[in-house]
Amino acid sequence: MFWHNFKYSVKTLLKNKILLFWVFAFPIVLGVFFHLAFQNIEKNEKLKIIDIGVVDDLQFQNRSIFKEALNTLSEKGENQMFSITYGDEEELHEQLEKKEITGYVSFGKDDVYLFVRKSGINETIFRYVIDEIASNEKIINHYISDGMSYVGNENVDFNMMIQNMMQTIESSQGNIENVSNENLSYTMIEYYTLIAMACLYGGIFAMVIMNSKLANMNATGKRTAISSLSKGKLIISSLLASYIVQLLGIVLLFLFTIICLKVDYGHHLPFVILLSFVGCLGGLSLGIFVSAMFKKNENTKTGILIAFTMLGCFLSGMMGITMKYTIDKYIPILNKINPASMITDGFYSLYYYGPNKRFFFNIISILLFTIVLTAVSIREIRRQKYDSI
Amino acid sequence: MQKMIEVKHLTKYYKDFKAIDDLSFFVKEGEILGLLGPNGSGKSTTINCLLSLLHFKNGSIQILGREMKPESYDIKKQIGVVFQEVAVFEELNVYENIDYFCGLYIEDEETRKKYVEEAISLVGLERYRKFYPKQLSGGLLRRLNIACGIAHKPRLIFLDEPTVAVDPQSRNNILEGIEKLREKGATIVYTTHYMEEVEILCDRIIILDKGHIIAEGTATELKEHANIEEKITVEGLKLTKDQFENIRNLKNVDKVRFVENVLTITYKSGQNNISVLIEFLRNHNITYQSIFSERPTLNDVFLNLTGKELRD
Amino acid sequence: MTVFKTFWKVVNHYKGTIILYTVLLIVFGGMNMKSNNQMDFVDSKPDVFIVNKDVSNKITDNLISYMEKNSHIVDLQEKEEKIKDALFYRDVNYVIYIPENYGSLVLNGQNPKIEIESTGDYQASLAEMLLNRYLKIQNLEQMAYMEQNELINAINENLGHQASITSISSLDEVGLTNASNYFNFASYSILAVVILVIGLVLASFNELNIRKRTVTSPMPYQKYNFHLLLSSLLYAGCAWFLFCFLGICLLGKTVLSIRGIWYMLNALFFTVSALALALLISTLTKNKNAMNGIVNVVALGSAFLCGAFVPAEWLPNFVLKIAHILPAYWYINTNNCLKEIENLSFGTLKPILFNFFILILFTVGFILINNYLSRRKQRID
Repeated sequence: MFWHNFKYSVKTLLKNKILLFWVFAFPIVLGVFFHLAFQNIEKNEKLKIIDIGVVDDLQFQNRSIFKEALNTLSEKGENQMFSITYGDEEELHEQLEKKEITGYVSFGKDDVYLFVRKSGINETIFRYVIDEIASNEKIINHYISDGMSYVGNENVDFNMMIQNMMQTIESSQGNIENVSNENLSYTMIEYYTLIAMACLYGGIFAMVIMNSKLANMNATGKRTAISSLSKGKLIISSLLASYIVQLLGIVLLFLFTIICLKVDYGHHLPFVILLSFVGCLGGLSLGIFVSAMFKKNENTKTGILIAFTMLGCFLSGMMGITMKYTIDKYIPILNKINPASMITDGFYSLYYYGPNKRFFFNIISILLFTIVLTAVSIREIRRQKYDSI
Repeated sequence: MQKMIEVKHLTKYYKDFKAIDDLSFFVKEGEILGLLGPNGSGKSTTINCLLSLLHFKNGSIQILGREMKPESYDIKKQIGVVFQEVAVFEELNVYENIDYFCGLYIEDEETRKKYVEEAISLVGLERYRKFYPKQLSGGLLRRLNIACGIAHKPRLIFLDEPTVAVDPQSRNNILEGIEKLREKGATIVYTTHYMEEVEILCDRIIILDKGHIIAEGTATELKEHANIEEKITVEGLKLTKDQFENIRNLKNVDKVRFVENVLTITYKSGQNNISVLIEFLRNHNITYQSIFSERPTLNDVFLNLTGKELRD
Repeated sequence: MTVFKTFWKVVNHYKGTIILYTVLLIVFGGMNMKSNNQMDFVDSKPDVFIVNKDVSNKITDNLISYMEKNSHIVDLQEKEEKIKDALFYRDVNYVIYIPENYGSLVLNGQNPKIEIESTGDYQASLAEMLLNRYLKIQNLEQMAYMEQNELINAINENLGHQASITSISSLDEVGLTNASNYFNFASYSILAVVILVIGLVLASFNELNIRKRTVTSPMPYQKYNFHLLLSSLLYAGCAWFLFCFLGICLLGKTVLSIRGIWYMLNALFFTVSALALALLISTLTKNKNAMNGIVNVVALGSAFLCGAFVPAEWLPNFVLKIAHILPAYWYINTNNCLKEIENLSFGTLKPILFNFFILILFTVGFILINNYLSRRKQRID
């Protein structure tokens, strides 16, 4: 009887096109959208070569240090920072208005004048770099005049001195060591929330299958309720069926995100599998809970489940990853009881930190969530002799 | 008396399947015409053709003396239709639904308000004005479906199996409602496969099978037409093959059936049929539990005409 | 009238959907608004966090105060996990760990190692530039000045020089960016609210059995359709008005201007194309569940691929190429143009008028396809 019911449960679930769309296809479609929209975001945040202009006039020609420094900065190669257009002021102004350059610099006798279109990060970088060259110029000039008065010899090779000073400046870089974590790709969170969504959406399967076993939902429910089968056995075999179908969907989604979207789940595959299986369990219990606790028709129940899932995913960063961080930082309790966040955070900690305390805390949280919801639902189902059908 | 509907030589194909075959009939003003037939006999197709919902190959249809076309709005104004399927807005409540459909016919708000109220009380949905279709049981939903079709007080009403899958209370309510409509002078075309309803309700009956009219007339006429005078049923008896053959050869006997210890005999005419039969049984020492004679029903007529049960 | 009135009653049934997408618009369109209205040049400040393991001393404090002045110091707990989380979620772009004894080592003429963690993006590069510049100057001045106060003065004096900077644009960049972001996001709300609701409402009216009822009524079919169309049009107009009105509430004087009228005009053209698409979709399917699926895919797809959620300039080129087949692309393109155009004139508005033209083409296209598909008349077979 157990396997008989199991077989038919799987069959009915896999025949329901609308359900399959929402649980199987929709996360994949959304994943494709994420992939298309986000694949360049992080690349775009890396510093790019900035287009600037330099007013090439007599004043500029006299500023040998600037000439030298700007030359170095615009040399092709890994350290190139600027791409420079030399021209007269009018031309450059026009280019600036057309947004062809970020800004341009013109020189007075001792001063430097910057022109930009607006405030912005490229403009700020432009300004810092020019300021830096200016302060180098100052130091060098200072040394040269010092040197001249000290040596008192007009035969000193200025160019040599300048070259030497520039090298000194170049070599006096700060001693900075980057100790950042490699796995810093935050768009991954989007895919993690996607998995969380799919896990919780999967609860719809459990909900539908439970509805067909509850007498107050529909005719099939009534028929099942009066059949001679043991209710417990029946429900367990049905839920097993829905869990299997749910896992099938998650596996498809995983394969799709890994193979087609190149999503990085870190280096701990067994734990990824563990987390998604546990996550599906969370979804399953959510489905049971909604089915048992809300005395509404199936559409309303589906609505409740979807709304809850979407709210959870919203809070765990699906529509903007800062949301998850903000909640974690200011109202942590909210995400501690949000199953979508537990799943997302589990994947995140696995990716970023590896399987540590936080990961297992999330696993245990989901299991607790599952147990609590299931226990409450069982109590409700047990006492169900209906006041009204 | 005016003919409300006149159909001549109507023929309708669904691709290669001939659904209606050279059908001609008429409906008189003020009568209730029953269209009777098993599933797939062409009842709904006929109605859909009459309403110009379907194209048909041959024939002509006149309603209220004029040809019925999709744009015959002045004719449509006088027609009310209740389809087999429930056709209401899930998003509107009982009152709003009736009001909407009535509003397609009646522009004036005052009149419409009155009509809607009358329709509600006609089908007995007074307590459910604010209910949404989802909250109504099957029977109440059917009543709403009817109210939506007749609220505008049409002169000619088509009812396509309005009592399918309806609980007895709602069914009585619906039948009473139809009676009331007739009293107010409406002409009604009523399709069903419930014999009892037709017998109670209809002035005239057309029996369809495979797109043909196989019989037409009042209930009494049909029974006469089928040439059945009497039906005798004997229950709880055993018969040998010879005895069965002997019964078949008794006087006036038309048809004999013997199924599961029940013997059914129909007679074309004659009197004392029952005493002849009892004597035969006594002479052959055949014991039985009960014997009774009755006037044939339309069901028997149908059985007689087509050789099959109406509800198959 | 009765069709018209009932249309609105049915719409009323879906007010939840309308409210949902309106709230989303307010939250997401309004959330990212920046309130900086300064016309002068302002330095961008990276988000930095400093972990100081040194005891308080002038050298270290001077470095910290320099960073504080030129960057935005984030408020964080000094716990490894909190810092790592903050880096991952870009709450902080650059973390500087000042080692023990840093100050005294510097005074001894050394160049002690400073560990940093970086997100590697623009902001982090900027922070690194700041830090590096400071350290460089410190190293240079170290050669000349051994005494703590002298060194600090020399460093600060050197860092104090700034080139004069002029911004030439008279545009209210921040306000216009806010406006464009709002209207870009509105594309999603408009699509959802117009297509989903009109689709669902028309699905009710077009349900086969209800259509049979309608066809048998004396209401001429053309008139009936016309009323439905008119109601849909009015509904779309209301949706457009609602979103524009909300825009005015949220954006204020930025959109109460000639430029604002162009934004709204753009939204109007887009709404009309959405309406045409809604009518087409309602012809394609009468199944409300399928409708939900289609609309979600269309609206989310448009939003993601055309740049409503992620700025269009960050999308890969091939994605933008694909997006050309969606009306939202042209609508969003107009919004982005409006943010940048210095002076509104026929010359500068040309690309926008072209976008309008494309939107009209979309509208006409949808209507033609719809007419072709819905040629079945009053009969039901």
